[in-house]
Amino acid sequence: MKRNKNRPPITLLPMALWTTVFVAVPLVYVLGLSFMKKAATWGVVAEFSLDSYKNLLNPVYLKVFAQSFWVAILTTVFALLIGYPFAYFTAKLPKKHRSLVLMLMLVPFWTNSLVRIYGWMILLRSQGVINGLLMQFGVIDKPLKLLYTFGAVLVGMVYALLPFMVLAIYNSVCKVDWSLVEASRDLGAGRAKAFFTVTLPLTMPGVMAGCVLVFIPSVGLFFISDLLGGAKTMLLGNLIKNELLSAKNWPMGAALSIAMMAVTLLVIRLYQHFSRDQNLEGLL
Amino acid sequence: MKNSKKRLARLLCAAMAAAMVLAGCNSSGGNSSSSSAGQGGEEQVLNIYTWADYFPADIVEEFTSTTGIKVNYSTFESNEEMLMKLEAAKGGQYDLILASDYIIETAIQKELVGKLDTQQIPNFQNINPAFQSKYYDPTNEYTVPYAAGIPLIIYNPELVDFEIKGFEDLWNPQLADSIVVMDDARNVIGLTLKSMGYSLNETDEAVLGQAKEKLMALKPNIRALDYSTPYNLMISGETAVGYMFTSQIITALNENPDLKVVYPEEGLGFGIDSCFVPSDAPHKENAYKFLDFILDGERSAHISEETMYINCNSAATPFIKEQALVIPDEMIEGAEFMMNVGEADELYQQIWTEFKMS
Repeated sequence: MKRNKNRPPITLLPMALWTTVFVAVPLVYVLGLSFMKKAATWGVVAEFSLDSYKNLLNPVYLKVFAQSFWVAILTTVFALLIGYPFAYFTAKLPKKHRSLVLMLMLVPFWTNSLVRIYGWMILLRSQGVINGLLMQFGVIDKPLKLLYTFGAVLVGMVYALLPFMVLAIYNSVCKVDWSLVEASRDLGAGRAKAFFTVTLPLTMPGVMAGCVLVFIPSVGLFFISDLLGGAKTMLLGNLIKNELLSAKNWPMGAALSIAMMAVTLLVIRLYQHFSRDQNLEGLL
Repeated sequence: MKNSKKRLARLLCAAMAAAMVLAGCNSSGGNSSSSSAGQGGEEQVLNIYTWADYFPADIVEEFTSTTGIKVNYSTFESNEEMLMKLEAAKGGQYDLILASDYIIETAIQKELVGKLDTQQIPNFQNINPAFQSKYYDPTNEYTVPYAAGIPLIIYNPELVDFEIKGFEDLWNPQLADSIVVMDDARNVIGLTLKSMGYSLNETDEAVLGQAKEKLMALKPNIRALDYSTPYNLMISGETAVGYMFTSQIITALNENPDLKVVYPEEGLGFGIDSCFVPSDAPHKENAYKFLDFILDGERSAHISEETMYINCNSAATPFIKEQALVIPDEMIEGAEFMMNVGEADELYQQIWTEFKMS
């Protein structure tokens, strides 16, 4: 009895092994790689160097960072604006309809995301569904350029990550004690005031968790900007892929990955601080 | 403070050491599989490594049914990925690899490519000499050319009001937001260099600087960058002009025969994808059998119909049916190979990143 107290249960072993082999070891490999030098033609030279990290300050790379974060911020904001009302009203539906709505939202996400993005390409292209309908109804007489624009990238990103936002907020709206809202109404608060002073603060943990869950992946996604943006917008994910595969500069790719992970950690730190959710339970 | 610095240094050292060990592990993994090959009769297996669908499936099946040799077809996405894996396997594991010229040059330098025993490939003599003795294999000891390609300009005369003759026309302001080019640094900077009268393989920093400035001026005309499916944009009318590889040009022409193909007057770029047998291939004899099999004239003609690249086989000529695009021989003569540019590659990539960010 006493002995067991400090020893982790043996059932954790597979998990520990898994994390060591597939998470810890590759991470250490990437970290090590980032301090090496690119060999002249191929591969790396095992020589300590900070060149890759110095290179991060190259204005072009800084611009990629800035653009990535700009896209990630916009994605998060739009996902929040669409996701909050959606989650709020879904949570207030009768139980029977609730699960139906959630099902309808989740089922498409069982399809490969690449396939769904191709679906967007069919909708957006110049002879696609949207332009076809608009022309049919005489709204426009020449197809609009919808595909291969910054807007198309944003639409794709928001679309791909919206469920994370909705589910996080939905969970916290479900937990709201509605008698508190009623009390505020009884005490004379209008609908809007009751929402902003009672409901919103109560659902804040869900909002924060949703923002983190949308922001972090949107920094690293690369195929959406390739497919919907015509590869003209370069995000951090594209840059890393490019450094590793086209430029064959592995240390640079590794250093960029490390920098990206550092930023991700920072975001999670901020989340921990502001949500007081030390164990990150809200993100599960 | 001091303590934490020390700890950090120790951590970094450990990380680097671990990375080196891992890299080492990586490169010793592939050898074991070669031991199963006996001295005389080989195991009836052939491990092919190339892009998906590059060897037509029916050819592979026919090979298995006539020889009884089972084919394991594994695929890579890029030449670079292939070299990475082949290096890790120390030239073993695979029996036959089909990849591009410039990467084969590097692979030969790294001694990962075995010399061909042409005695075992009677059909080796069928190869059209126009596609042999190239820079990556000047004495034809290592490679069998499989398919050749030339990137060309294609445009939709319904959407373009003037005649496009060469690369320089791509800068025409009338083409604003209507061109698709491959998402590839070397090819697009290459066309810029060609339009200025320089070589595709320029390494001079000052010249590349000028090319960069000119390239930036092309950005307003670029609608999309697409390496693998640019023909879709030409077929759907999304773009009016495209610069793409031969097989992609033919795909677009098959769907829309009204599209016009341009042989840029400034000169052409050129590439050959070739087969080679890795230095430590476990089933070399089977690889030779396969090479001989695909070098047969009729089969070779069938292959180039499927892949839509330029055929490199003289014996295939009588069997080739009419194609959507026939590139004249004199064009091929004058075309310039895209070669390794060594250290300048980094500069190319940097220009490309800046171009995409502009």
